[in-house]
Amino acid sequence: MAEHRIGTQEQWQAERNELLKEEKQLTRLSDELAAKRSRLPWVPVEKVYRFESERGTAGLADLFDGRSQLLVYHFMFGPSYEAGCPVCSSIADTLAVQVPHLGARDTTLMLASRGPLAKLLDYRKRMGWEIDWVSSEGSDFNRDIGFMHTEEELQPFLEGEIPATVVQNAEMCGTTVGGYVAEGPGLSAYTLADGVVYRTYVSSARGLEFAMPYYALLDRTPKGRDEHPGTPVWLRRHDEYGSSVAV
Amino acid sequence: MPEHTIGTREEWQAARKELAKLEADQAQRNEEVKQKRLALPWVQVEKEYEFDTEEGKKTLAELFDGRSQLLAYNVMFGPDYTLGACPGCSSLADGLDGSLVHLNHRDVTLMCFSRAPIERLAAYKQRMGWEFPYVSTYNTEFAFDFGLALTEEQAQAIPEVREMTENPPDWLEEWSGQVGADLKDGLRENPSWIAFARENGTVYHTYTVSAPDPFVAPYFSFLAERTPKPQPDEPRTWRKDEYPD
Repeated sequence: MAEHRIGTQEQWQAERNELLKEEKQLTRLSDELAAKRSRLPWVPVEKVYRFESERGTAGLADLFDGRSQLLVYHFMFGPSYEAGCPVCSSIADTLAVQVPHLGARDTTLMLASRGPLAKLLDYRKRMGWEIDWVSSEGSDFNRDIGFMHTEEELQPFLEGEIPATVVQNAEMCGTTVGGYVAEGPGLSAYTLADGVVYRTYVSSARGLEFAMPYYALLDRTPKGRDEHPGTPVWLRRHDEYGSSVAV
Repeated sequence: MPEHTIGTREEWQAARKELAKLEADQAQRNEEVKQKRLALPWVQVEKEYEFDTEEGKKTLAELFDGRSQLLAYNVMFGPDYTLGACPGCSSLADGLDGSLVHLNHRDVTLMCFSRAPIERLAAYKQRMGWEFPYVSTYNTEFAFDFGLALTEEQAQAIPEVREMTENPPDWLEEWSGQVGADLKDGLRENPSWIAFARENGTVYHTYTVSAPDPFVAPYFSFLAERTPKPQPDEPRTWRKDEYPD
């Protein structure tokens, strides 16, 4: 007998119908949020940022690649990393396949990191992703939207008790804890109108969960996420499951 | 100057903070719904089903492939579709392979079902370059028993379906052309997620969710929700190898 509560088809259906009402409320809430999100003011990006891309040095406007919208995933791969963050890697696994679908919807989706371009491209090859990746090394692009932290800012965190998952991830990236957490994950959105680039949306931390579709899938399985505080993160790079933690 | 409101960084920050509160509220609500979802009773599957897979016939228990959880997306690809699966469902399915290995290591077997015969599913899977297992529910009662498909009579008894069949909007008529099936047949497939658990040799049905729940939408729509410009109201979709330009 399963440990879970077992019911008849009728019981399930009755409870499912009740839950559906709540799921529908949640949908309406999401629709309202999306509407509010699209009403955020646009802010002109006046500072000049330089990126290293496969096609040479580029400005922010160049990254749109002929489209009017740009979505950048800020992938944690800092200058001191030997390999990309495993969690960001799982996110990129799911983002890369969306490039053609968003491209056809006037939206360029890409990755940006502070690590040097050559390291990023080597790692991309290993992971087999088909998505553009630019290096913002030496530019304030990440810093200006809060996705890069200085040693001074990190001092209180580094002097406290470091969560096991952070230690594990830093080790998997071949860097120190300080080097690892200097980078922040995030998503930023831009639009290009009459030659001016506007920043429209930025999200990070828990606000990035939509970028982890495997969690939304797990949320529909019988056992759910089954994650408990204090246990190490289960996510691995897609080619490192079953192996011990290694770069 | 764009027609959209232009603001300073400070104005944006203030508006973003207000939005963040709402996003946090929604995350909290989502957490509560998740708990209730997990608390649904499980229902034992007593009937025997046999599915056509790429590796021959398999029972429902065998589809778990040794894991204890099965999560499947029912792609609209009925036996009458002559040109392939629904483009929207195909776009959703494109997004699954990125999660496949991660879910497999969380004791979840992820796959898709459709009602067209296995040869057609296998050919379509190859065309789309998918990795996940694709299983045919052709010649079983599975899809009808679990609300994943409607019989002709059932479809005709639903006023909304009859109305869509008789007076389809343009996008739906285009969709019918994309899949190569009349709407009266095409609309009999129900795009849905379905979940099962397996414990001590018994299979339990745990959850089903169908359109129009937003979870039954391609993953890019969640990303597109974060882009500056609104998305079109009409749900036109294309297969990734058939975009107009």
